[in-house]
Amino acid sequence: MINIGLGHYLFLAAIIFIIGVIGIFLNRKNVIIILMSIELILLAVNINLVSFSIFTQDLTGQIFTMFILTVAAAEAAIGLAIIVVYYRNKGSIRVEDISSLKG
Amino acid sequence: MEYAIIFLPLIGAIVSGFFGRFIGDRFSEIFTSLLVSISAILSFVIFYIVVAQGYANNIIIFSWITSGDLQVNWSIKIDALSSTMLVVVGIVSSLVHIYSIGYMVHDECKTRFMSYLSLFTFAMLTLVTSDNFLQLFFGWEGVGLSSYLLIGFWYKKPSANAAAIKAFVVNRVGDFGFALGIFLIFYYFGTLNYSEVFAQTPYFVGKQINFLGIETSVITLTCLLLFLGCMGKSAQIFLHTWLPDAMEGPTPVSALIHAATMVTAGVFLVVRCSPIFEYSQLALNLVCIVGMTTAFFTATIALVQNDIKRIIAYSTCSQLGYMFFAAGVGAYHVAMFHLFTHAFFKALLFLGSGSVIHSFKNEQDIRLMGGVWKKLPYTWILMLIGTLALTGFPFLSGYYSKDAIIEFAYLKNSTVGFYAAAIGILTAVLTSIYSWRLLFKTFHGRYSNEKIKIDKMHESPMIMIVPLILLAVGAIGSGYLFKDLFIGHESSSEFWRNSILFLKPINYDHPPTWLILLTPLLVIISIPISYYLFLKNKKILSKYIQSHKQIYEFLLNKWYFDELYDFIFVKPIKRLGLIFWKNGDIKTIDQFGPDGFAKLVKFFSYKAVQFQNGYIYHYALVMLVGLSILLTYLILI
Amino acid sequence: MITHAIFFYFFSIIAIFSAIMVVASKNTVYSVFYLILDFISISCLFIMIGAEFLGMIMLIVYVGAVAVLFLFVVMMLNVSGIKDKQFKRKVSYSHISFGSLISLIIFLELIIVVGGWKYKPNIVEISSIRIDKDFTNTHAIGNVIYTDYIHLFQLAGLILLVSMIGAIVLTYRKREGIKKQSYFKQISREKKEAVTLVEVESNKGINLDD
Repeated sequence: MINIGLGHYLFLAAIIFIIGVIGIFLNRKNVIIILMSIELILLAVNINLVSFSIFTQDLTGQIFTMFILTVAAAEAAIGLAIIVVYYRNKGSIRVEDISSLKG
Repeated sequence: MEYAIIFLPLIGAIVSGFFGRFIGDRFSEIFTSLLVSISAILSFVIFYIVVAQGYANNIIIFSWITSGDLQVNWSIKIDALSSTMLVVVGIVSSLVHIYSIGYMVHDECKTRFMSYLSLFTFAMLTLVTSDNFLQLFFGWEGVGLSSYLLIGFWYKKPSANAAAIKAFVVNRVGDFGFALGIFLIFYYFGTLNYSEVFAQTPYFVGKQINFLGIETSVITLTCLLLFLGCMGKSAQIFLHTWLPDAMEGPTPVSALIHAATMVTAGVFLVVRCSPIFEYSQLALNLVCIVGMTTAFFTATIALVQNDIKRIIAYSTCSQLGYMFFAAGVGAYHVAMFHLFTHAFFKALLFLGSGSVIHSFKNEQDIRLMGGVWKKLPYTWILMLIGTLALTGFPFLSGYYSKDAIIEFAYLKNSTVGFYAAAIGILTAVLTSIYSWRLLFKTFHGRYSNEKIKIDKMHESPMIMIVPLILLAVGAIGSGYLFKDLFIGHESSSEFWRNSILFLKPINYDHPPTWLILLTPLLVIISIPISYYLFLKNKKILSKYIQSHKQIYEFLLNKWYFDELYDFIFVKPIKRLGLIFWKNGDIKTIDQFGPDGFAKLVKFFSYKAVQFQNGYIYHYALVMLVGLSILLTYLILI
Repeated sequence: MITHAIFFYFFSIIAIFSAIMVVASKNTVYSVFYLILDFISISCLFIMIGAEFLGMIMLIVYVGAVAVLFLFVVMMLNVSGIKDKQFKRKVSYSHISFGSLISLIIFLELIIVVGGWKYKPNIVEISSIRIDKDFTNTHAIGNVIYTDYIHLFQLAGLILLVSMIGAIVLTYRKREGIKKQSYFKQISREKKEAVTLVEVESNKGINLDD
């Protein structure tokens, strides 16, 4: 318990990852929550990468994390833009109202 | 020439049937009539050549089926028998074609009608000119098909459809026997060709076969099975029920198919197979008995019927019975002669009744006619000729053929023969009575149709009358002109030659004078009797009906044959079918087969549709399920 | 060691709690705030274990940019207003138990994987880019990223550029009926089209409405 190792970090990452996954399909409020859940999942991945990087004395993980951060930021920007456009067109971003995928 | 005879009607049928809409009603009528008329004239030419030069030919068109031992050709066999049939079919068919132009003038589907008529003519011609049993069967079914189509021509009438189906189904019973007969022939003789079969027949005398546990001779069984087909086609007793109902079709159809040609196919077959039938006395006796029973029993029914066409239809049955018992006593040539003359006067009667029906605007009940003989002079005279010929009035065609049948039956000098002669005379009297009843009720007496004023009655157009006149000429003259040719003393050697086999030489003794005189005398006497009964003093008859109501009802309901069949066959089979349908089909096959699959697919597709509800979180959930399954698999393995 | 443990538990509990709140909170604005809290605590963890640069970057990028972007959008779309409507509609919760079960399974499997982990004995030796204790974390990353990963780094910048353009294009709309300055129009205006000289007759005046 006291001796914090790689496992603890991975455990934390797993918990956050699962919370993010749950957030994707359990929420019924709006699509923004889904985007935030995706951010959480990416965060969990980042935790994994960084902790591996630190505990194996290898910098590659941190470089990767940086790129993930970049992509996450870009994804958030585009995703939010899409949501804004969608809201303008349909007047709602409630998850339950978005079902035009069924055709 | 032979090709033209057979195939011109087919061309007419195809052109009129498939291109009728493009060429128009008038053109298709003229076209088919023309082609069939050419065919008829050529038939005459053939007949003349056969008569004059003894011409006989067997043209093989092409090989139809070659399978192992089975070798079947399409062919045109010309001999005395088939040329006689060609003439009958050709004349009646062409006249009916022409007559139909006038009769069907108010109908909308003229091209279809003409096409069917031509198709029928083609099928009948292939039937009579075949040189083997299979082509015969083809023609047999072909005429059955066109008969079905033509009876149900007015397909909007439920009764016409029912009659067409009935005709078809009843014929199936006969055809089943016929097909079995053909199988049997092929099984034993190894060929279906007439000449080969007939050549082998003498060697099979005495050969036994076990059929349904009964030991019979091969030839007898073959004959009986073939005769079953004849009974169906020629509407003999037990299988006769379809013919009166077939009168639902247009009248020209009745004249062509159900009087002159198709129904005589059975007689033709028996005569054609005379080389087989001759070797089986049992079969011949049966043919004779069935024929005379039919002749008598349908004549009794015809006595009380009220539908003009049904009376003539029953009369046709009766005359066919005559032909059969002529064949049964071994007088095949007389049977053919009667077939020949009968075609003329029966077609005349039918077409004449068609003319009457036409004038009465499709009224067929003779109780609602009467007193129009002055209004319809031509029709009246022609019907009169037909009736006289039918009843066997001296020196008209029916006289020669029918009396010849009775005489030959008498000269047969056997129990069956005497019995047949007696029945023949009795039936002749009955025939005379019902024919005159028909004539008197239709044309004489009081006018009793309330729908149409008598002033409005008018004669049928010339295009209908002219064929009638031609037929009338045939009805008057065919007996006298052809009697020497068909049934004269030298006929078997001069004319029929190989087409009919007479095992025993024909007995040309003179029958006793009283017999010769008896029938015409009775027939002539019956004219004033029926005049008295049906016109002058109806009370006697109505009183008689009152007092013997059961007999009257019995006859009016056609000996309850329809009801009997309904009770014995139709209802149990219907019930059985219902059981199979409900339990077998719906509850077993459908439930587990198509319906079951459909339900299963529907069930799963509903489930699948529920996945596709468009909600992102559902998709995500499904992805997650897949992921978890994959992970579990990877970890556990 | 103990301080490491204390800080780890402290921040990780905050992170987990705020992650749950991101998903569970009824108000979307609160969710965004909890997201910010989550990022802050995780970046603290990063800093704590020696990835200072990444921790700071997380703060700057996520908290400073992404989360604020979220906040902006949430405020702009006024999604918290539809909060009430949600309770009026009948919602089925049948999928929640199933989804939770599936999530639990995946979680357990992840734990199995993590718990069953065994390092190779030579894992430190075979790593490609060793962390040199002589440099600071930022220095080390800079050393690598501007040399070995320069192309990818440029590409990442390009991705950001594209996403920026994409976001602008998506959300930009031309609104009708709004008077806006058009610089180009203003500059390209000339005397000829701007001024007309009219000869005004005396006592008649001129109709200016034409």
